[in-house]
Amino acid sequence: MSADDHTNYGEGDARQRLLDLAEQFYEQFEDGDVPRLQVPTRTKTNIEYDEDSGVWVYGDRTSTRSAKTVSGAQKLLKAVYTIDFLAQQLGEDRSSTLRELYYLSESWDLAEAQFNSQDESNQLIEDLEIVSGVTREDFHMRPEESGATLMGPLLIREQTRRGEREIHCQEDVGEGGYQIPNNPDQIEFLENDADFVLAVETGGMRDRLVENGFDEEHNALIVHLKGQPARATRRITKRLHDELDLPVTVFTDGDPWSYRIYGSVAYGSIKSAHLSEYLATPQAQFVGVQPEDIVEYDLPTDPLSDSDINALESELEDPRFQTDYWREQIELQLDIEKKSEQQALASHGLDFVTETYLPERLEAMDVL
Amino acid sequence: MQSTLGDSGIAEELAESQRQISIAEFFEKNKHMLGFDSGARALVTAVKEGVDNSLDACEEADIFPDIYVEIEDLGDYYRLVIEDNGPGITKDQIPKVFGKLLYGSRFHKREQNRGQQGIGISAAVLYAQLTSGKPAKITSRTKGSSEAQYFELIIDTDTNEPEISVEETASWDRPHGTRIELELEANMRARQSLHEYVEQTAVVNPHARIEFAEPSLEEPLKFERADGAELPAETEEIRPHPHGVELGTLLKMLEATDSYSVSGFLQEEFTRVGQKTADSVVDRFRDRHFGREMAWRPPQVHEDADVQAAVRGAVANKGKDATKTFAEAVAGTIADRDRVAYHQLREIVDSKAETVANDFGTTFGSTVREKATEAAWTQILGGDEKESRTDAITADLYKLVDAATSTRKDDATIQGLAERLAAKFVGSEDRRHRLTRDDLTEYVDRAADATEEYDDATFGETARENVIEEVWAVMVTVPDDPPTVSAIADDRDAASELLEAMRATDIMSPPTGCLAPITEELVLSGLKKEFDADFYAAATRDAAVHGGDPFIVEAGIAYGGELEDSSSVDVMRFANRVPLVYQRGACATTDVVKEINWRNYGLDQPGGSGIPNGPAVVMIHVASTNVPFTSESKDAVANVPEIESEIELAVREAARDLKSYLKKRRSMRKRREKQDKLATILPEMAEKLASVTGREEPDIDEALARIMNNVLVERVVEDGTATISIENNSDRNADVALTEILGAEPQNANGANVVEMDGEYYLKWSPTVSSGETARLEYSIDDDADSEIAVEGIDDEKLTIQQ
Repeated sequence: MSADDHTNYGEGDARQRLLDLAEQFYEQFEDGDVPRLQVPTRTKTNIEYDEDSGVWVYGDRTSTRSAKTVSGAQKLLKAVYTIDFLAQQLGEDRSSTLRELYYLSESWDLAEAQFNSQDESNQLIEDLEIVSGVTREDFHMRPEESGATLMGPLLIREQTRRGEREIHCQEDVGEGGYQIPNNPDQIEFLENDADFVLAVETGGMRDRLVENGFDEEHNALIVHLKGQPARATRRITKRLHDELDLPVTVFTDGDPWSYRIYGSVAYGSIKSAHLSEYLATPQAQFVGVQPEDIVEYDLPTDPLSDSDINALESELEDPRFQTDYWREQIELQLDIEKKSEQQALASHGLDFVTETYLPERLEAMDVL
Repeated sequence: MQSTLGDSGIAEELAESQRQISIAEFFEKNKHMLGFDSGARALVTAVKEGVDNSLDACEEADIFPDIYVEIEDLGDYYRLVIEDNGPGITKDQIPKVFGKLLYGSRFHKREQNRGQQGIGISAAVLYAQLTSGKPAKITSRTKGSSEAQYFELIIDTDTNEPEISVEETASWDRPHGTRIELELEANMRARQSLHEYVEQTAVVNPHARIEFAEPSLEEPLKFERADGAELPAETEEIRPHPHGVELGTLLKMLEATDSYSVSGFLQEEFTRVGQKTADSVVDRFRDRHFGREMAWRPPQVHEDADVQAAVRGAVANKGKDATKTFAEAVAGTIADRDRVAYHQLREIVDSKAETVANDFGTTFGSTVREKATEAAWTQILGGDEKESRTDAITADLYKLVDAATSTRKDDATIQGLAERLAAKFVGSEDRRHRLTRDDLTEYVDRAADATEEYDDATFGETARENVIEEVWAVMVTVPDDPPTVSAIADDRDAASELLEAMRATDIMSPPTGCLAPITEELVLSGLKKEFDADFYAAATRDAAVHGGDPFIVEAGIAYGGELEDSSSVDVMRFANRVPLVYQRGACATTDVVKEINWRNYGLDQPGGSGIPNGPAVVMIHVASTNVPFTSESKDAVANVPEIESEIELAVREAARDLKSYLKKRRSMRKRREKQDKLATILPEMAEKLASVTGREEPDIDEALARIMNNVLVERVVEDGTATISIENNSDRNADVALTEILGAEPQNANGANVVEMDGEYYLKWSPTVSSGETARLEYSIDDDADSEIAVEGIDDEKLTIQQ
């Protein structure tokens, strides 16, 4: 099973695929085999660049969850229980959140089938996505975090439970912007006046840009990433790029964790590399804050912590960051041993970011 | 004749030296040493002496011991009864056995026995008599006698002789044996020690049956004989080893021997001494007794000395040719020698004199020979002049000193020392230059002291020792006849020299046939008999030697079961099959156990050293012709490195078995836990799968067997053919012994054995199935014939039978 065949399947299909999986375990038992489930190893050593799609996908290494061990058997038991639950949910056309699944497992009569942590249930859903070739959205599983927001000159149509709504993401929304739904594939783009997408890591900076009217002045679609972006945020970003042909830029803090935010927007995340093709926007460009900017704009800084340094060094080995640009920037940062937040730009005045920094950077990147 | 003293000799010597005082007084003074220092201890010691005696008596007579011990509280006193089924004793033997304090046949034997341990039953008799005033009551019946003899006996404390006060015949239900009854002042405060002693005695004497009654017991404790236990192998007595005797013993042996010569004495009275070894001991004795003679280099060509001329000059009236030939021969032989000592020179003169006398028909009498020897010796020493003699000897010694000292010593220092050393030789009254090593040491020390003082040089211990060694090496053992044995016996110094000579000679280790280890097998059955444990291990080491005494160490471990888990492991110590009850902390065995890292062997050991914790018993047995104890009370084995090392090896050997047992047990427990867990999970998974897929529940047994690395035994019958398959999913060969009980007769069961019994057919099949393989047996049978399969050779946890 690879990540190649990820497209939107009908719901009947999703349910059938889950049942096929159960059938597979059943057959293994009947054949006297040890039931097992093989999934790609989800570590950074097992992701590779896919030339065709320009994103990072899982490599050939696989991990086997086998009933040979108690923990493996438990995982499979949980998988079967989860399959049962998802099949029912799909049959009834209902949906639930990842967190709900975790709590729901508490009601399962068998203690061995219950999840010990939400990480475990999240991981299991990812496993099921991979082996069944169905995204979790099609299992009707939602993340609990609300989607992030979008602000800019774009008219969309959203399918809601209360019917279709047409929304202009600048004129019809408040200061908070348009809330990106959990399944952005239910959105239709109607009219677009935007020139580019600016994805912003922190809420403070997003609010600053909106207050300073950056979206209006530069016809920018400001997407709030809210830290590590949810799948829906990444998906809509990809659609904005693919369907509206908008350049995508990413504006984050100047530290190793923020580079990973950019990495997951542009290249896909390690945990969901099976969906990279569906979520990643390889053409996304990094605005900053670059280590170079820290030096050039003489920004207020914090020293790098040990974990920052480890993270930077680990990024030097991360296949997603194997470009001259990133090696240069990361090595520079290791050299100066400093990091800066987006808000550090305010040290040159509240308008500095909208009047000076972003215009300069975006021009340099040929976006403006 | 064999008359040696064991180490118990100290006690005897003590007693001997105190002959003047009464034996009661002696006892009173030494009772701490004899184990009677308190009422509690006295009871333990009396029981111990009595039981040891009984065990030995029975074993000597090839009888399986059956021993009864009873302690009764009489109010003022305690009554101790010890009964055995030994050969019994006659009236004549009574004084020997119960008589003189410290008298016992085993004191004088060099063999492994219990008696070596104790001070004798007579001490208990005496203690009883002194505290209660009551005589010892003895009933004895020898094999074949129609009646038993009853005696009452006291020890005359003035003469140290037993006195029989009552003597009569009695009836006794034992066909043979001895019963001794003592009344003594005692208490039961050492109850624990008593119990330990009896219990541990039962462990190391699995061939004995012991019954033990004491006031706090409602019923006597019974320690039954282990099944199949045999009497300990008979030990042969060995003669002492030259490295294992002490001066007192040697003197006594010298006195008692029939041998005339030292060489004969050594060969006759000691083990491992033949002609060669005896010669080598005698030479070392000569060196110590007579000293060696300095051998000097013969005069060199460039020196003035002329041996030939001197010899010719010393011979008169023997004819010119004969004299010339003789002188030439002597001088030539000397010149060919590297070095010559005085007695060697005399030998040369003698032999040449014989030759020349034969050739020329003249006689060279002893006067002539002496003169010739003196003349030649004078030349060898460098002439008559003191000065020339000192020069010659100095030159000779210079080479030796130079060779012996480091290159850092300057020439003047070496020359100075050589000169001063030479002066000692020149000034010596003994023209033969005969010195003991002590004399030589004195020479060198004085010469070195003077060199340090006058030449402002340093000449330290090592340098001196090297010089002594170098000179001593060129000195020659003299051929004098050693003193006779009787002369040495009267001369303590000579005897001491002989002892040193014996110790200085390399001699083969003593034979080990004199030892009777319990053996691994019986250590195991002893442990099994007394401890209800889950696991037992034992190890018996090969014999080793310390001093002149061979010894064998054995170790045993019992683990789990009913053994107490709450505290530290019990260490049971034994020497020559006798439990050591006191002074646990001072014992080499305890030290060794504490040193071992028991965590390696799967036992808990807080802090990584010390006595480990856990439900275990460790037993250690040291068997030797002479177990070294820390003190006369013989409660603790001394820290002798050779013995400690063997103890460690024995304990580790047994502990290794414990380790693999514990490891296996842990992995079995894990496996069982895993199996239990999977046995819950997988059926649930199957049930859920059935409900999700809307099918019947899948059969999971085969998968389960595969998962558990199980051996899966499956029987399928189809159309009159039964197939039994054994699928081995484990990682090792499985030796399977399968028995199937069938209600009908199987046909064509090739490869299996079929036996009919009472209308049922027993099919036996014993294949070896390699890891990952499946063995199949096919036979014809009615489809609905009853079948029942049993499998042996595979642990239940690893076996799945499907039928």
